[in-house]
Amino acid sequence: MTHFFSLLIPLIFFLSFGYALFKKVKVYDSFTEGVKGAIPLVVSVFPYIASVTMLSKLLQASGLENYISHFLAPTFDKIGVPEELAPLVLVKPLSGSGALAVLSELLERYGVDSYIARCACVVYGSSETIFYIGAVYFAGLKRKSLPAAILIALFSYLVSIIFGCFLCRIM
Amino acid sequence: MNTLFVIVFLACAALLFVSAPENFLTALLDGASKSATLCCSLIATYAVWLGLMRVWEDCGIARKTSRLLKPALKRLFQTDDNAAIDAISMNISVNLLGISGAATPYGITAAKLLDKTPQAEYASAMFFVLNATSLQILPTSLIAVRVALHSAAPNDIVLPILLTSALSTVLGVILTRIFIKPVQSHKVSAAKKQTEFFKTHRAGI
Repeated sequence: MTHFFSLLIPLIFFLSFGYALFKKVKVYDSFTEGVKGAIPLVVSVFPYIASVTMLSKLLQASGLENYISHFLAPTFDKIGVPEELAPLVLVKPLSGSGALAVLSELLERYGVDSYIARCACVVYGSSETIFYIGAVYFAGLKRKSLPAAILIALFSYLVSIIFGCFLCRIM
Repeated sequence: MNTLFVIVFLACAALLFVSAPENFLTALLDGASKSATLCCSLIATYAVWLGLMRVWEDCGIARKTSRLLKPALKRLFQTDDNAAIDAISMNISVNLLGISGAATPYGITAAKLLDKTPQAEYASAMFFVLNATSLQILPTSLIAVRVALHSAAPNDIVLPILLTSALSTVLGVILTRIFIKPVQSHKVSAAKKQTEFFKTHRAGI
């Protein structure tokens, strides 16, 4: 399966560029034009990533993180989620870049290929920043159905965490 | 987020003030330098994928995808608005690649356009749930982070993520279909849920 995904990405590029050539697109010009967008995009998220990383380092240094994890551990244990994921699970619905910061912390601390790290990757990768999306996409729009939609999204998030950790255990 | 940030920050600062004040600035600087490294690897990932996406836009693959998704999206969102459907399909395509930062501009456009359609209550909720439950196929930024940390098998997590996000998306869509019906007869219960929601979640935002 891993091998299949390693092949998939080069194949996507091969087919896309081939098709673009066929359509007489100047591939180099077009590609570089797209690459140009990478830096502004990263610059726009850097402040959030930096602030949350600083906060997560503070959480660690002050020992507050340990208290929180211990407090939540029994609940997480019961639903089959490693307690070390507590900070990630809590931050992800609020901030994607914050969650990315927390995630890379977890990966470094427990080793990229450990069980905890794989669970963390699945939780991070299979979920979205529910509150951030609500705030940004629907800023200024007042729809009565949105709060209900947020509850639905949070519920699906919870179910997917449990399912994701279960998959990591058996795969 | 503002409230949360200040509360956690002050709590940590107070704890450190009592236990180890010399670690305070070290922790902040350590965090900042971590985030700088992280952003460098993100620039690399975004460069690759945004480049590819631009090629897709220029050779018409993006427009073709939109046309391909149109029948399904029309039914899902109960709308005939072509501009809205175009924005939604770009938003979904970018989301599938896992570059949620690039999906945001399309998402905002789509949300504004859906707000003007006749089934706005339902369509907005559906669009929100679809985005909020994650549609990734290729978790690109995640693979980048794993490669940067020298993972032995950086792609190992792709399949579990695929299955997990499929589950959460399908669950979300079904629940939206059940609880927020395309007909506007649920104003009362939606309003009730709204008050409940704000009671419990105001502090979190």
